[in-house]
Amino acid sequence: MSTTPAPPQPRALDVVERRGNVMTLSMGPQHPSTHGVLQVVVELSGEIVESAEMEIGYLHTGIEKSAENLFWTQAGTVIERMDYLSPLGNALCFVLAVEQLLGITEAIPERAQAVRVLMCELTRIASHCVWLGTAGIDLGAISAFFYAFDVREDILDLLELSGGARMHPNYLRIGGINGDLPSGFIDRLTVLVDRFPARMRELRRLLQNNPILRDRMIDVGVIGADDAVRWSLTGPALRGSGIAYDVRKAFPYSGYEKYDFDVPVRTEGDAYARFLCRLDEMDESMRIVRAVRKELERGGPVMIDDPKIAGPPKETIAISMEALIHHFKLVSESFRVPPGDVYQAIEGPRGEHGYNVVSTGDNRPWRVRTRPPSLYNLQSLKQIAPGNLIADLVVMIGSMDPVFGEVDR
Amino acid sequence: MPSPQTPSIAGTAVDPTSSRPPIADAQIERLDPARLRARLIELRSEGFNLLLDVGGVDYLGREPRYDVVYHLLMLPAQTPADVAAVGRPQRRRLLVGVPGNEPALPSVSDLWPSAAWPEREIYDLFGIDFTGHPNMRRIQMPDDWEGHPLRKDYPLRGPAREATPRPAFANKSNVPAGVPPSGRVAAALQRQIARARGEEHS
Repeated sequence: MSTTPAPPQPRALDVVERRGNVMTLSMGPQHPSTHGVLQVVVELSGEIVESAEMEIGYLHTGIEKSAENLFWTQAGTVIERMDYLSPLGNALCFVLAVEQLLGITEAIPERAQAVRVLMCELTRIASHCVWLGTAGIDLGAISAFFYAFDVREDILDLLELSGGARMHPNYLRIGGINGDLPSGFIDRLTVLVDRFPARMRELRRLLQNNPILRDRMIDVGVIGADDAVRWSLTGPALRGSGIAYDVRKAFPYSGYEKYDFDVPVRTEGDAYARFLCRLDEMDESMRIVRAVRKELERGGPVMIDDPKIAGPPKETIAISMEALIHHFKLVSESFRVPPGDVYQAIEGPRGEHGYNVVSTGDNRPWRVRTRPPSLYNLQSLKQIAPGNLIADLVVMIGSMDPVFGEVDR
Repeated sequence: MPSPQTPSIAGTAVDPTSSRPPIADAQIERLDPARLRARLIELRSEGFNLLLDVGGVDYLGREPRYDVVYHLLMLPAQTPADVAAVGRPQRRRLLVGVPGNEPALPSVSDLWPSAAWPEREIYDLFGIDFTGHPNMRRIQMPDDWEGHPLRKDYPLRGPAREATPRPAFANKSNVPAGVPPSGRVAAALQRQIARARGEEHS
């Protein structure tokens, strides 16, 4: 039996062409160190990268288009899935934008704002844990991964306790949060908070002064302050290049101005500076979490007092005709949002997470444009990679911490 | 391409520009496409040095049909590691109307290299051409995709979706016709089928 030979399948690292001393190599899209599905076509002269051209879009899921065709109350569910390592950050940004359009920003109860801050800081730590673990794995430091994921696991347990799901709880809602924190939450949070410093020390001991890790990261992937601005970097990538811009400080939202925290900034601009910025950020996030925990000792409502937006209390639906009507209208056709066009940004784990939300007065968003920090941070690899070794490409990709659910959307 | 008569699913097109709510952090400016580059260069020299985002909006039924939104950020001169002394950065938003017929805008990727990908994305998803862009091709959708998905007349579902041409790769199988399935799983499955039919198979 004769069959035609199957065409050769491209491997993760495949030579595309050779031209004189320059070899063109394709890395990805299924290379394990691309943190998702990224294809980098690199031109090499020996081991030195001459140019790096990136191909994205392998994970395009049309979330922005889907969000336009869902009710305001439903859109949050798909939006949480963009940056899947920081789902509550996505949700908060969208929810704040819609609240701005509705003009109810001032009416959000304080307790709801505090819980939102708590959730966002917890997901920031969880997201940095994933980055720490995977960036370590890129360099062969496998054990740190398990320590980092252990911390993340505890945080995901807390998210599950509050919102009902580990990854995408849809806990932050327009007008507040979906139900108060359950009993026992604060106790488990206290356990996490108390254990955290020791675990951070452990992680730092494993990685921070590790000679191999330092050799691989210091002076690798350097980007200066001017270039960082030209390439629109935000978040730890920008702060690692010496520019102290943090949305939480510059444009405070959800009550961040009440909390005392520092913004770690380093001037070296290399992969190690970004690494240290993120490590320090985890400690600062925990500082905020501690402050919020104190604030949560006071009770209070967690949802805006407007049955058209928040829906009626569940227990009244069976006994009050008006409550039933509100509930029915909210579920079957959501609410209408006054026409307008707002831009709302938050500081996500990867940088300025922005939503440009346009309403035409309908019960669905007209347009939800995301500013994905990963997209811009990743794009700067074109500037950073040339002149570095091919082996350091994974370090540079890792140090930018891209999440492809958000790059491709 | 779907016909322009395809009704929009998300609702009727209303121009929301008339009643914009005041926005606390960002100033909105509406610009003529011809003045775009000059104004951006002017703003950049004023200190709006970081291009936060370039996004598109399709207002089907309005003329100009599209809006391209530029978000700029002014980072005040600063000493590192001192966030409190930095002062308040400013945001600025520029809205540029783009006509529905042969939509095009000048590219700003030479002013900010970071504009390269979002401009490609707007081309890909809205079909707005950026003249002077060094690499104007699709970025999110496959290269042979037809239509621009974020346009409001691009159907999400319903009969019009079936009329949307499928890309070539979706119609062709990567197994040449007449070739028996290979692989251990397929072979085991075939043996099982043969046994169930009572056929002896080597």
